[in-house]
Formats: sequence, structure tokens, C-alpha cells
Amino acid sequence: MAETRGVLLPAYVLADESGSMAPYQQELSDGLISLCEGLRVEPMIAAKLRLAVLGFADDVQVRLAVADMRTETSLPQVAIRGVTNYEAVFDDLLSRIPSDVQWLRGEGYKVHRPVVFFLSDGQPTGGDGWRRPHARLIDKSRTPTAPNIIACGVGDAQAQTMVDVATRDEFAFVAKPGTDIGQAVAEFFHALTASLVASGHALNSDSPQLVVNRPDQFSMAIDEVGQ
Amino acid sequence: MTPPAGDGLASAPPTPAGHAPWRRVTVGDPGPEFEARPPGQYAFDFPDTECDGWSTADLAVRFASVRGAKHRYYRQPRQDAARAAAHEDTRAVVAAVADGVSSATYSEHGAVEACRAALEQLLHQLSQEGGKLDFVGVARHAAERLRALTRWRLRGAEPARGEVAGLHATTLVAGVVRPHAEGPVVDVCRVGDSGAWVLDTSSGRYRALFGPKGDADAVVVSNEVTPLPHVPDPLEHITARLADHEVLLLGTDGFADPLGDGDGQVGALFTRRLATPPTPLWFAHLLDFSRETFDDDRTLLAVWPYPGTGAP
Repeated sequence: MAETRGVLLPAYVLADESGSMAPYQQELSDGLISLCEGLRVEPMIAAKLRLAVLGFADDVQVRLAVADMRTETSLPQVAIRGVTNYEAVFDDLLSRIPSDVQWLRGEGYKVHRPVVFFLSDGQPTGGDGWRRPHARLIDKSRTPTAPNIIACGVGDAQAQTMVDVATRDEFAFVAKPGTDIGQAVAEFFHALTASLVASGHALNSDSPQLVVNRPDQFSMAIDEVGQ
Repeated sequence: MTPPAGDGLASAPPTPAGHAPWRRVTVGDPGPEFEARPPGQYAFDFPDTECDGWSTADLAVRFASVRGAKHRYYRQPRQDAARAAAHEDTRAVVAAVADGVSSATYSEHGAVEACRAALEQLLHQLSQEGGKLDFVGVARHAAERLRALTRWRLRGAEPARGEVAGLHATTLVAGVVRPHAEGPVVDVCRVGDSGAWVLDTSSGRYRALFGPKGDADAVVVSNEVTPLPHVPDPLEHITARLADHEVLLLGTDGFADPLGDGDGQVGALFTRRLATPPTPLWFAHLLDFSRETFDDDRTLLAVWPYPGTGAP
């Protein structure tokens, strides 16, 4: 093991920017700002994270490229547009994550298994086309940098779909019926910030584990499947 | 370097020149500077920094254990420990270093207890006829002591292994350095991912006595370790010999991770500073170097041979 500059956790936030999110654009923007500010006040944690924010709809657009939040000055801006194309998400991550990891390693860092926080308010358009790139993305034998995926569904997103997107049943959540979607989006970002901070501690310990906090107003998707 | 006089007192090591005293040593980009916060109110037995140093006629010993920046900031105690002793009859040095697993509730107690148990058992074994070492016995004794500590904490209830691990899990690297006419002989074992190296101060090369933690070529890393109370079968142990220009190092991953293969800035720093034994306080100060992202507790124990000495 050559001398390294440290061990980083690459974290990706996938924010649904499809048209149905239009009423909640403010909550989405506010949530991203609170995430960035939450990491800035934890410089020791932020030093070991690299955060990317990607907006998805018809395609995937970079709102924040893999960034060191201690020094990043810009805030991610979302743009509501198009439909909910999951296939574009997983196609994008299939090339983006290995490339980012290679870049970080080239900079002298080692990396933990990347983590993806996926937030959607709808069912995927285009049927099951997303399942093929998704399966390839999470298969560690084909994708050595396969990420852990935490999936949170609000609005029309179904529990079974979140369970299928997440890499473990306990990483899939859906907003409780009747929950205000804007409030649920805000809670998603609170839990995301807390999860990243806690994971920043735990992943660099002797018992490494990704810490995933269930957002308030959400339930485990696996408990909602079939109900 | 000269061995201590017959009264056992070593000559004072040279004070590092050209350094502003106690300004923190930095390597590359430094980590954040801040005043340490107190650990929890019941952690008063685990000071931020601990160091010691002494010499026998044959060997010089220094060790230090410093609280990492993460624990200083988030009000947690140092969870590493080290202990060393001189076995009087054999002129051997026995030493142990432990890294309490952060997820264990009282890992700082576990680390100290594992070091104590290892030293007591090694001293006992050296005192027996022939001085034969039984490292499995050392590891089992340490595991049993963690169990006893857990039983005490549970007010006498017999703990399951998971409870012992949940409260007191710790790594351990422990061993003996025995003087020998051809150079001191090192016997060392480990449980978990703490490390041992032989540093050749003439070449700057670090020879790891145990394999790296995890898969060194893996694209993504994992820190996962299997610490005490688990006693692996087989137990890792190794024998090595120290040349005059070599130093034995035992250390936790707080030192091992920034060191890497030893061919970078951290390796060069310690090669330069450990050519001869520094004062114990300077040794601790050196170990407390600042480097961005490396904020774990650090513990390092070093043993130098005095040239030309050794058992007949």
C-alpha cells in the first residue's frame, strides 16, 4: 500500500427533476442547500467525502460535480423538466462512478464503496428498461465500484420500485401515506446529511458500515410492499 | 548511539535542532487546528497523550499513544493503548499495542486491558524454564481478561462473546525482543489490523512483518477487522532479527494508514526522526503530526538495539 492522501467516500445525490416535482422545486433547492451547509459545518467529515449532485428527468445533468464541500462555493441549482427516466440514471452512473473513482485514486486517495442517495416522486417511464443497467451497476463482479444505493420514494413512487432500486431492503424508504411531499423532500435531505456525517465516522473506523437514517415521515418500503 | 551506563541510566538524547518547540509537525496538507474538547466525564483515566521511554543495557524503548483529531473534536477518549516492560532475568523487552474498536462501548478500557494481559502473560512465559513463548496462550489470556471485564460490567452475569465484543473489542499486537549475540530477536503476534514493521534507518525501508489489511489492490477499500475477543486460528505470529541500524515498530492503523508502504512523506519523516531514540515527549509530539484526513488515534512503540551488545 503506497502512501495515500486519505480514504474518501464518494457520495451521489440523484434528485428527481421530472415535471411532477415542479410544486416541490423550492423544497428540493432548500434541501440541497441545507445538505451543503450541513457538511460545511463538519469539516472533518467533509474532508473525507466527495459529493456529487445529479438531477435526473429525461436525462442526467450534473448540478454539482464530485466536490470537496469544505471548499466548494457554488450551490447546486435544480431545473424541473421532462419525465422520470430511471434508465438514464443507471446508464449514467455505470460510466460516471468508475470514472470518478479512477480520478480520485489518481489524485492519491483510496475510496470506500460509493453511495447513491436516490430520490424520486414517480414510477419510471420506459417500463423495465432501467433494470438492465441497474443490475450491472450493483453487480460487484462486473462493476468493482458498485455503489450502495439508498432509495427514497415520495408521491407516486411505489414501495416495490424503491425496494428494487435499493441495494438492501433496509435502504429503501417511502413517504408515509398522506405525508406532504414538500415536507418529505425536506426530511429526505435532513436524513441524508445525518447519514453522511454518521457514515463519515463509521466508515473510517475498525467496524466500517454505511449508516442510513430513515427520514422522518418515511417508512421502510419493504414493510409497505403489497399493502 | 551508546548503551546506558551500568546504573541503567541512558544519556540524554539530542534535542531536535532547528524546530520551533512543540509546533505541530505537518505532513503535506495539515488537518484543522482546534483546541481539543474533553472526552466524556468518565474517561478521565484515558489522557489525550501518553508516552514513555527507557533503555536497558541492550535495548531502547519509546512509545506514545495520542488521541486522534476526530476524537478530540467529537469528545471521545483515546481508544488506543500501549504498554512495555523489561523482563529482568532474560533482559528482554515485552511490548503490546492495542486499538480499541470504536463501535465497542468501552473500547478504551478493552485496549488497555488487552495490553496489560498480554504483558503479564508474556512476562510469565519468559519466567518459565526455557522461556518458551505461546502466543495463542497470550491471545486467549487477553480475550479472557476482556470477558472478565465484561462480566464485571454486567455485575457478574456471564457474557456472550457478542457482548464482550460489543463492550470491549480491541486489536492487539504483542511480542518480545530478546537480546542475542547476532542481533535482537523479535517474536510478535497480532489479532486484528494493528501492524509491526522493521525500519531500516539507513535505507528508509519499512519491512512489514504482517500483511496489509484488506486487499491492497482492491478498487474500493474496507477497514473491516476481526478483533479480540476472537482469537483467530491460526494466529498470526512472526520472528525477525534486528540489525544495528534497524528499529522494531509496533503501531495501530492510525499510524499504519498514513504510513502506507513507508515510501512517502510520513515514512521519510519517521526514518529521519527515529535514527536514534528521541525523548519520549518528542516521540509523542512527532506521532501527533497533522495530515489532512488522517484523524484516527495513533499509537507507536519502537525498540532500538544498542550496537555491539547482546546476550553471549
